[in-house]
Amino acid sequence: MALRVGEAATRRVSIGFRPEGGAVNVTEARLDRIRGPIQPRNHNARTIAALSSNPGCARRAVMDAAGVDKQQVAAHAGFPAPFGQSRFALSRGNAFEAQVKADGCAELLRLLREHLDLPIPEASYADLEEAGGNTSREARYARTRALLARAAASGDDAGTMFDHPLLRLGVGGRPVYLEPDLLAFKLGHQFHVVEIKSFAVIDGQADGDKVAAAVIQSAVYVLALRQVLGELGCGPDLVADEVLLVCPENFASRPAGAALDVRRQLTVLRRQLARLERIDSLLEALPPGLTFDLARGPDGAVQRPRAELADALAVVPARYTPDCLASCEMCFFCRQEAAGTTAALGVTALEDLGGVEHIATALHLARGSADAPGVQAEAAVLLRAAARLRQECLGEAV
Amino acid sequence: MVTSIEALEERIESLRGRVRRARLAGDRELAAALRQELRSAEREWDEALEELAGNQPAQNVPPARGEQPASSAPGSPPGGASPAGVAAPGREGTGVAAGGLALPLREQVHQALTLLTVPAAPRLVSLVHEAFFAGAISGARLTSLRRDEERSFRAAPFARPYYLCAALTADLLAPARGVLAVSTWPMERRVIGPLSPRVDFLTAAIQVAESILRVSQPGPGALRLLWRFASNIPGGMTSGGKTNPRRVAGAAEAERGIHADADQAARTDAAQRARAQLNDAQQLFGTRLRGAPRSAAGG
Repeated sequence: MALRVGEAATRRVSIGFRPEGGAVNVTEARLDRIRGPIQPRNHNARTIAALSSNPGCARRAVMDAAGVDKQQVAAHAGFPAPFGQSRFALSRGNAFEAQVKADGCAELLRLLREHLDLPIPEASYADLEEAGGNTSREARYARTRALLARAAASGDDAGTMFDHPLLRLGVGGRPVYLEPDLLAFKLGHQFHVVEIKSFAVIDGQADGDKVAAAVIQSAVYVLALRQVLGELGCGPDLVADEVLLVCPENFASRPAGAALDVRRQLTVLRRQLARLERIDSLLEALPPGLTFDLARGPDGAVQRPRAELADALAVVPARYTPDCLASCEMCFFCRQEAAGTTAALGVTALEDLGGVEHIATALHLARGSADAPGVQAEAAVLLRAAARLRQECLGEAV
Repeated sequence: MVTSIEALEERIESLRGRVRRARLAGDRELAAALRQELRSAEREWDEALEELAGNQPAQNVPPARGEQPASSAPGSPPGGASPAGVAAPGREGTGVAAGGLALPLREQVHQALTLLTVPAAPRLVSLVHEAFFAGAISGARLTSLRRDEERSFRAAPFARPYYLCAALTADLLAPARGVLAVSTWPMERRVIGPLSPRVDFLTAAIQVAESILRVSQPGPGALRLLWRFASNIPGGMTSGGKTNPRRVAGAAEAERGIHADADQAARTDAAQRARAQLNDAQQLFGTRLRGAPRSAAGG
């Protein structure tokens, strides 16, 4: 309980989006009720990045703001998510990171010298993964802040590489600690974010989806670093818009680096985070008693009836798109719910069929068996043309 | 007799497998008995090899010290001098003659660290041991080593001639993560300032390069290690990707010269603080912050 009071206080101090404390507490209390009596799930760079992939989904926004354990809710609702990183991927990622950072970041230093012209004398290294043997987040964050403040304020030799700094970002009014697997370093009076990923860059080409995910995660770190430095009285220019992505090159595990521009992702993220802070307007439209609490008994068994949970979920509108399958734990639930709607066909189909909500309606329009009201007229013309083409090609009706 | 050497090798392999299985199953008695059998098989193998070598025209093959060939470079072609190519430099004149296999883990680590002369991560310790002594040290066994040493020191301080201890971070005098050091080293060498990881890396490169120069035929492990250093030191390799120990040592020395003064100053300062503020056990194993200062975190 004390923790919760502390959180609310931090919220008022760090975000201050609602000067009268009462409204903040109402929102907080509602989010607490939605989550149930469990610890809120913390955001990390991955979940913050995922927010930007489907900005219009109220269900995800509410659940994330409340810190609901979506994985467990989805599983109990009968649609367990296909997620969780493979442990092989995790251990490969860790091994590659350890290799890059081994011996005082020897490999990384080579890359920084090659790609960013880091001067030879700058080789200073600070391990921020623990603060004097203490791995608590508060201690690590305090140490990170202290070292970054010193580096930002003083000359060139006050720190070059910061291994595993712990940053803090306000998300939905709640401070979130980000434990990046990256280093920030000072070069030419700018901090650069370095992201180490274990997917291969083969012949100069990497998997586009993976690079996109890495870029948006790095953007989260850039934003968090800017916020930390901003609290220390530094301008945003102190953090570079370019991040260095370090990946294995070709088929060996020798690391290679590439500089990536994250300005676009930063804009998207900022908009998303601002939206999360307006969560109270989303909550207003929802019934006051709404909760996703699984009502666990003393033995940990879920006692809430499945149908009741599903009904509660259905109250909050979702905006399912096939992209959700890659990033949201609720995806199978929402997909089943969205079955038969044009949204389930993806963004392209949805845009082509503007005004037509269900696939059945689209088929009726294509056959010409239903009248097209004004908003559907354009889509109806398109559908009939498509149906005619199909009939001419295949010789069969829709 | 001579033809049986391959049979012996097969027998050694199978015995090793059985030792491992017995050990993992927790059957210590069986494991001990099998190990005895393994030792005698290895002795027989040595004798057989000596016999074979005696039949060959003698070249400059150094005498294969003890059991080393049995464990080093298992992938190398049979016969030939390759196992002996990674023979110990023997510069310490200590228990190396007993061979890597017989040495306890802490002594193997001590050997490698003594060669490097600087605090090093377990992975590097293992690679150095593999390259210059007998066999790799598994990383899993090294994780608990420092804790065991600390327990032993606290139970009976200074009862052993040396302890494998922590390197201390210069600012908080806390144990540096994942780095091993030797207690007999001066405090200045055991503290880690901001530039120390790089300086220690360069010193290790110089030590490895010089050790390779001392060996007539460095093994593949040693050359791989040298390449690892060379590729990450400016000027350590030619543009064609070739390298040699002298070049690596020269390049490392050049870069170390740039960082040395600043690093030394930070280390001397931290070492003075450590000697003044810490007790014996803390000087070896560091201090730890207990409980986060809340005001600092909120700040």
